[in-house]
Amino acid sequence: MLLLKLAIRNIFRQRRRSLLTALSMSGGYVLCAISFSVSEGSYNNAIRFFTLDHTGHVQIHKGNYLRRPKLHKTIDDPAALSETLDNNDNIEHHTLRVFAPALAYSDTDNTQVNVIGVDPTREKRTSRLAKKVTSGNYISDKVNPDSYYSAMIGTGIATSLNISIGDELILISQGADGSVANDIYIVGAIVGNKDSLDKSSVFLPLDAAQEFLSMQGKIHEVAILLKDESKSREFAASLQKQLPELSIDPWQIVEETFYMTMQADQQGMQAMLFIIIFIVFIGVLNTILMSVLERTREFGVLKAIGTRPKTIVSLITLETALLSMMSFFVGLVFAIPIIAWFAFVGIELPEPVDFGGVQLRFFTGEISTYVFATPLAWIMFFALLVCIPAGIRAGRILPTQAMGSH
Amino acid sequence: MKRILSLASCIFLALLSQTCLSDQRAIKIIDDVENLYRGESSKATLTMIIETPQYQRTMKMEAKSKGTENAFYRILAPKKDRGISTLKLDEEMWNFFPKINKVIKVPPSMMMGSWMGSDFTNDDLVKQTTLTEEYDLTLNETDELYTIVLVPKQQTITVWGKIDYVINKQHMVPVAQNFYDDDDELIRKMEFTEIREIAGRMVPTSLTMKPLNKEGHKTIVIYDTLEFDPPDVNQKVFTLRNLKSRF
Repeated sequence: MLLLKLAIRNIFRQRRRSLLTALSMSGGYVLCAISFSVSEGSYNNAIRFFTLDHTGHVQIHKGNYLRRPKLHKTIDDPAALSETLDNNDNIEHHTLRVFAPALAYSDTDNTQVNVIGVDPTREKRTSRLAKKVTSGNYISDKVNPDSYYSAMIGTGIATSLNISIGDELILISQGADGSVANDIYIVGAIVGNKDSLDKSSVFLPLDAAQEFLSMQGKIHEVAILLKDESKSREFAASLQKQLPELSIDPWQIVEETFYMTMQADQQGMQAMLFIIIFIVFIGVLNTILMSVLERTREFGVLKAIGTRPKTIVSLITLETALLSMMSFFVGLVFAIPIIAWFAFVGIELPEPVDFGGVQLRFFTGEISTYVFATPLAWIMFFALLVCIPAGIRAGRILPTQAMGSH
Repeated sequence: MKRILSLASCIFLALLSQTCLSDQRAIKIIDDVENLYRGESSKATLTMIIETPQYQRTMKMEAKSKGTENAFYRILAPKKDRGISTLKLDEEMWNFFPKINKVIKVPPSMMMGSWMGSDFTNDDLVKQTTLTEEYDLTLNETDELYTIVLVPKQQTITVWGKIDYVINKQHMVPVAQNFYDDDDELIRKMEFTEIREIAGRMVPTSLTMKPLNKEGHKTIVIYDTLEFDPPDVNQKVFTLRNLKSRF
């Protein structure tokens, strides 16, 4: 208690020096917290873009379909699987899909397309597909009066085949039974824009796609949206135990390239933040060392009256810890409004960035305990680290020499 | 010296004519055997059974041919594929899909592609007839079999390095065709079995195509009926107009 009193008194005795040290520390804290917030924010935005756009948080496939997709690697009983998933409390929604490459024809032109069969109702809840419809109506699993199914096409197909809503779209592909899959669909909607990932995709209702590919109720992929997105790895692992015959992967595996790039980028960002913190604390080290040097006589007296080196080290450490806690609170006062503004308003981009039909208009931050606590931990760690050389110097000092110095 | 020279040239000429003769015989044998299924013109109903590790599929179809240049195939069953037709004129090929009412020409790049998901390639349907023109033939024979080794001529465009054509001497019917790649490795095997007498000719009525590089794949073609020179097979059958006609 005496030590605490002494520490507080020491801090306030040299107001100007303490203020400068505290300012450099709170400045460092604010800078770090904002950088953390913005970097987390942009990563989480990108993750959300991928997972909510089409990937989902967890995906289910048969065998190694994810790495080597083949028409015959199918999940054969999707109805039972769907029921299991519907009864799982961790799952928000899920959707069923089939995929196949195909050739698309209009009267005059042809082009290569990716056919994606989706369950219209489930897909709407799980991915952004319905929101990406730029004109026309979202697909339904009902046939029109002439008994044609409707299809949604990417803008790339609309342009290269020169077709639009209401026109016929002819698809030819290989069926799962080796037959030549061929059928006519009516274009019901255009999806995304010319830069979208879906620009050469044809979306068909699941039933129509299964019929087209002679797949008889089988599917290739289940995409799952979880209630808690941070639990994707754990959830995938536990579901894998429940369904050992299927392959269950979290989005980190499904979008592996993206995830790896993001991780590398994040590590680079962390290295930069580390440098910022390091520079701040070289300054802090300087001030603390200076204060120890200035107080050499004082420590000499303390030692002369019998204070143990340990107590002197504790005193210096306590002073620094107190000072950094104070700086943290001051920093927090400045950081909270700035981060809140980044999180809730963000910087409006002069040109909206388009991610496959999803427009990103704002450069936003993230507000979370992680964003505030991590820089605090770093600051405390560094502050205590710089105490070590200063403390050792003060603790080792000889009273006679110390009191003789100016 | 003169005598030796004339003797040598005699031997040389004799050898030359021998090889020419054997070539001529080989060409004749293959032509005879190839004409077996065709006659001047023919009409057949076939059952094609395609087996793969993933699926098995049975198709019924009708095949018509005239000479070596013209052929017409139409799928009769299953219902989903009914009416899908293929027309071959010389070395060109078209497919017709009634559901989408579209004729699609098979491009040269797709010639080695599978025909309707079977182990036969489009090329098999088109090129089979030109074996004697595009390959150099060597005839080997045993008591029961002729084995003709076909090596592509320099200018021939093909994926095969060599084809063995094995023929039963007694009935003059094919027994097997073995297809090798450029490294002399056996890639696929076609076997002819179930020899029956049809219209006075002995004809193997079952063909099995087995690609050896694809495990578990096999295509069997069974001749359910075969008629030679039927009255309804004429030049009109082998037209794009007929290809597109509904039936």
